[in-house]
Amino acid sequence: MTTENILTVEETLRNIVKKITRKEDVVLTPTTTFKELGADSLDVVQILVALEEAFDIELVDEDLKSLNNMGAFIGYVKKKVAEKKK
Amino acid sequence: MSLKGKIALVTGGSRGIGRAITLKLASEGADVIINYFRRTSAAEATAQEARSKGVNAHIIKANVGEPEKIDEMFREIEQKFGRLDIFINNAASGVPKPALELDAKGWQWTMDINARAFLLCSQRAARLMPKGGRIVCISSLGSRMITPIYTSVGVSKAALEALTRYLAVELAPKGICVNAVAPGAVESEALKLYAEDMSLPRLSQSTPAGKLVQPEDIANLVAFLCSDECSMIIGQAIIIDGGLSLAPMS
Repeated sequence: MTTENILTVEETLRNIVKKITRKEDVVLTPTTTFKELGADSLDVVQILVALEEAFDIELVDEDLKSLNNMGAFIGYVKKKVAEKKK
Repeated sequence: MSLKGKIALVTGGSRGIGRAITLKLASEGADVIINYFRRTSAAEATAQEARSKGVNAHIIKANVGEPEKIDEMFREIEQKFGRLDIFINNAASGVPKPALELDAKGWQWTMDINARAFLLCSQRAARLMPKGGRIVCISSLGSRMITPIYTSVGVSKAALEALTRYLAVELAPKGICVNAVAPGAVESEALKLYAEDMSLPRLSQSTPAGKLVQPEDIANLVAFLCSDECSMIIGQAIIIDGGLSLAPMS
């Protein structure tokens, strides 16, 4: 089990976004968008890959297209993590 | 043409053109190592399909844009297989923007995955080919012809073709043939991204062959370049485009 596994999805995501965007002040609210976090399309790809590795899950690009904010995105990631645990 | 008993690594080998190459090499008898970046389920599905052809298939997750991941991948290959006979450099990425909008990060991302990975992987692959082998990289017609928003990929593919020639001359004395395949418009997910303003039927009609190149067409050519029959083709970038480059769209 990695350190990320015992962190919540929100904490893990915040750490990953900090590392990739190199920003210290990362505030995640349900309505925050990746753009507001300062993440461009390449950053988003790297964030997805880091989350997949942290939780050993697979995020499907087609599913992600309809997720417009952090609330929806985190909900989707949590669903994938829960499916993995089953 | 038989590749029976050969061991082949295909980067980006789980989907699209890479998948077609993986399955063609498997159908010719090669054991296949499928490198992939994100979709484990797609890699596993392709590996299973390869195994159904009676060969061994192994998947390795690695972002070839990161040198340390390349090192890890080749360490695993060396430990598990001990050698390599065929290396197909297919993994590619890019930032679809015109030249004047392309930033340094997008440029570097594309060059790292498309061009630098070919150099680093070829260095490692060649060390695992003491009795000779085949290296084929997948280039693109975009290395020499202009397509809007294809800047970063087109330039990286030009680098691939130049590197193909340098590697080919260095490795030919060791019995390793290095060549490139440069497809035109291939019916794939990538084409939908880069040619979104062009309708696929129009592209097909503009191709002298009357249809788009299919991933399997690329795979057939790659398999030939990997065979014993083509030991005297060295350092070439072979265009496969149904004649599109001879009669470009007006």
